[in-house]
Amino acid sequence: MPDRWAQWFGRLLPERLRTEIFEPAWSDLRIAHLISGRRRPPFAAHAAVLLIECWALGLVEAFRFQRPNAPPKERLNMFLQDLRRAFRLLFREPGFTLAAVITLALGVGANTAVFAVVEAVLLRPFSYPEPGRLAILRHRDQQTGVSKDFIAMGDYVDLLKRQSAFESAAGYGNPHPTIFGAGDPFRADGLAAAPGLLDLLRMRPALGRTLQPEDARPGAAPVMLLGYEFWQSHFGGDPHIIGQAVKVDQAMHQIVGVAAPQFQFPPDQRTDVILPLTVPLQAPAQRKVDWIFAAARLKPNVAIEQANANLAAVSRQLQHEFPRSNQGSEYFAVSLRDALVGETRTALVLMLAAVGLVLLIACANVANLLLARSLSRRREMAVRIALGAGRGRLLAQLVTESLTLSLTAGCAGLLIAHWGARALVALAPKSLSVAGLTNVHIDSGVMAFAMGITVATTLIFGLASALAVRTAVAAGALAGAGRVTSGAPMRRAASVLVAAEVALAVVLLIGAGLILRSFSRLLAVDPGFRTDDVLTISVNVPAARYRDAVARQALFQRLFAALRAVHGVREAGAAVVTPLTGNHWTVTLERPEHPVPPGERPPEVGWQLASSGYFRALQIPLLSGRLAEPGDRPNGRLVVIISDAIRRRFFPNEDPIGREVKAGDQKALIVGVVGDIHRAGLRDEPHADMYFPLEQLPPFSVTLFARTRNAAPSLQQALRSIEPNIVLVETRSMADIVGDSVEITHLVLWLLAVFAGIALALAAVGIYGVMSYVVRQRTREIGTRVALGATQGDIVWLVMRYGVRIAAIGAAIGVATGLAAGRALGSMLYGVSPADPITLAASASVLLAATLVACYLPARKAAAIDPARTLADW
Amino acid sequence: MSRKSLPAITHLQFLVIGSLLSSERPGREIRTLIAAYGIQRSGPAFYQMMARLERDGLVEGWYEPLVVRELTVKERRYRIRPAGAKAWAAARAFYEAVALAAISQGWSNA
Repeated sequence: MPDRWAQWFGRLLPERLRTEIFEPAWSDLRIAHLISGRRRPPFAAHAAVLLIECWALGLVEAFRFQRPNAPPKERLNMFLQDLRRAFRLLFREPGFTLAAVITLALGVGANTAVFAVVEAVLLRPFSYPEPGRLAILRHRDQQTGVSKDFIAMGDYVDLLKRQSAFESAAGYGNPHPTIFGAGDPFRADGLAAAPGLLDLLRMRPALGRTLQPEDARPGAAPVMLLGYEFWQSHFGGDPHIIGQAVKVDQAMHQIVGVAAPQFQFPPDQRTDVILPLTVPLQAPAQRKVDWIFAAARLKPNVAIEQANANLAAVSRQLQHEFPRSNQGSEYFAVSLRDALVGETRTALVLMLAAVGLVLLIACANVANLLLARSLSRRREMAVRIALGAGRGRLLAQLVTESLTLSLTAGCAGLLIAHWGARALVALAPKSLSVAGLTNVHIDSGVMAFAMGITVATTLIFGLASALAVRTAVAAGALAGAGRVTSGAPMRRAASVLVAAEVALAVVLLIGAGLILRSFSRLLAVDPGFRTDDVLTISVNVPAARYRDAVARQALFQRLFAALRAVHGVREAGAAVVTPLTGNHWTVTLERPEHPVPPGERPPEVGWQLASSGYFRALQIPLLSGRLAEPGDRPNGRLVVIISDAIRRRFFPNEDPIGREVKAGDQKALIVGVVGDIHRAGLRDEPHADMYFPLEQLPPFSVTLFARTRNAAPSLQQALRSIEPNIVLVETRSMADIVGDSVEITHLVLWLLAVFAGIALALAAVGIYGVMSYVVRQRTREIGTRVALGATQGDIVWLVMRYGVRIAAIGAAIGVATGLAAGRALGSMLYGVSPADPITLAASASVLLAATLVACYLPARKAAAIDPARTLADW
Repeated sequence: MSRKSLPAITHLQFLVIGSLLSSERPGREIRTLIAAYGIQRSGPAFYQMMARLERDGLVEGWYEPLVVRELTVKERRYRIRPAGAKAWAAARAFYEAVALAAISQGWSNA
């Protein structure tokens, strides 16, 4: 939302400008846009123009201050004169200019690049009308603490009837149907929409009609809508498409409409086709057999917290009425934005904070450069003051100089941001599906942000320069310009700036260190199975040809045999749930001899459907009993393999093999016990898992696991040789899946490490700069010391002691700040405390080592001072 | 003809203060009104002028909540102060006197 950043930048304006000009003008702008109903991009552009104009008026006011009664033409002339002088200065001192512009451009560019991503992911409104009212319903199991994105069908039906916080709510699914007749058969990204979903999203079709409740009734003729872009790309935008039939999976569907351009739901997934989703009108007796995603639109003026209170009340009703299925089940809503962004929000906010620190360090560095330069300009300033230049006149000149420097750096920063934003998007894990991430660009809002931080840095430099002017005046620089030796206030100012830089750099180093330690701990986690040399291939079986479970089982056996026959394949199997992909599917488990008391809900354990080859391919150890055997047929007695955690929890002092358990509403015989694995992710503790044999319950969609070092094509070819119509959805190595599961931490680690590296380098340059300045300031003192017998070692120690003292103070402040800031990283850390002493000590040590290096060169220079020459100049 | 001094307010200020004689108005309405006379001012420029009028004690400004599309926003409103009414009356008297003089003395460039 541009509102927030514009108001934030508005707050940076001087008090009078803000209250007298910005606030009323900002109110008018908001009112005008609210009345017109337009939001972006004009609103963002107008807000940016408003901010710039306010700042410009502020500058004009500052120039009026220099000579209140000067006619406008004279004021303009003075401004142009200052501008010319500022540009001359830039070219007169190319070393200074280059150092300052590069430092600032890095800071502005990095900030703008990260902000561009933040704007696209967190701030840019979705394309649906009033997107702030859209929410996603979720389920939390208080027994296991696990939250799920989907809700049970029985509860869905009752929730929709009983809730009062939402204008409407509707279920949806994201199927991947195979489309025939539009070129080669291919797997499309679909939206299965329950009645009311498209109205809830305010989707207006570009062609034809939207879905009607009748389309979702059982037995209704199959119909579908095409996504607009899909219609353009696969049907050439045929205006006569309505009424035509297309084969989707195994049935012909009549096209009744084309969705609005750019419509997709959820916003982070393509919507090629929209199919009606049939949901029961009454809650089924088995309340938790089918599961469904659900979206909702809040009533006007109802906040998400109120909606959650309402859902909690309904959840309690359902718990009371259906304790066996709903005990501990809690439903809640999250905004569509929060649902989509997830943990990416923390990572992005963290990045924004990190680059903010880098910018502050860059500003401190440039302020230090300006302070050092002001030393050489003391005489010039003193002459100008002696000739009658007022404080305002000098301030206007310094502000113009700072503005020139900042704007030059701002332009360079925008270039860096342009490439930086692309690099950030490229660095994002491919598995990361976040709306807006594919559409990151430098738009008016981002440019306004860049402009804002450029102006803010101008203010900071203006302050530094003004401080220098005040010092010049106070020191009577005209009289003693040639003989000034102390400059204590400026030295103090420079030291304070460097200490602040050091503190900020230590905070970043601590952040990077904590994430590095977390990442290494994560990678050291034993998932309970082998991840190397395992290739996974997700496949869909042609449903029409293999309707019969026995036929599917036979097909899978042939597929496994074909894979094993490929040279280099040592084992092959299949499962429904791919480990480490965040899956939390569960099933209730009950021992018939120890039934759960009436009115209580049986405990839930992890659910998996896997063939015996799956355990062998992933080398999940068989601890006792056996895996599924050829004799375990689809129509035979259901057997089950349990994880060791189930044995420990449900059969603590007995052998579970041969025992019967009730899983959901099915009875199954335990035939084997296997080792525990981290199923959902490396961060999760291993849950108790129950494995049903794929040989007995063969599904239509599975993931094949092959232990091999072979390339995927040979395996895919083997599969097609058995069943040419098999749909190969995705092929990935298990190592890639492990990598994806920790990718966010990896990305944060990379970026924090880069920012911490920049911060460290800038801090080192800052220390070097201030020590060089100190050596220049104390040349005569050092010369005197040498003349009085001080050795080179004494002088080196004198200078280094000063630098190390500044760095130590900065490091101490940084460690204290880092301790507090580390808590913000909490959710991203694994196996390491935010106050990890090793990280804190290592960060401070790295910084102190950099300080020693940065101090050594000026110290050597000081030690080489010739006392005869310096004393002669006195 | 009685002796008249030059107006203490500018033509634009005369127009703005005049618009407040009959009733108080929101700032954006005053902007629209002066725009009808061909005087376009950006938001910041307009409110800078209004701030000066406030500082000179000619008008008084305050915020009032306004509900637009179910959202509450604050709006800056203005009313004339006695000093403003006096300055406006003095300026009007001056303009009238000049107009009368032009008619009675037949000033013309035709």
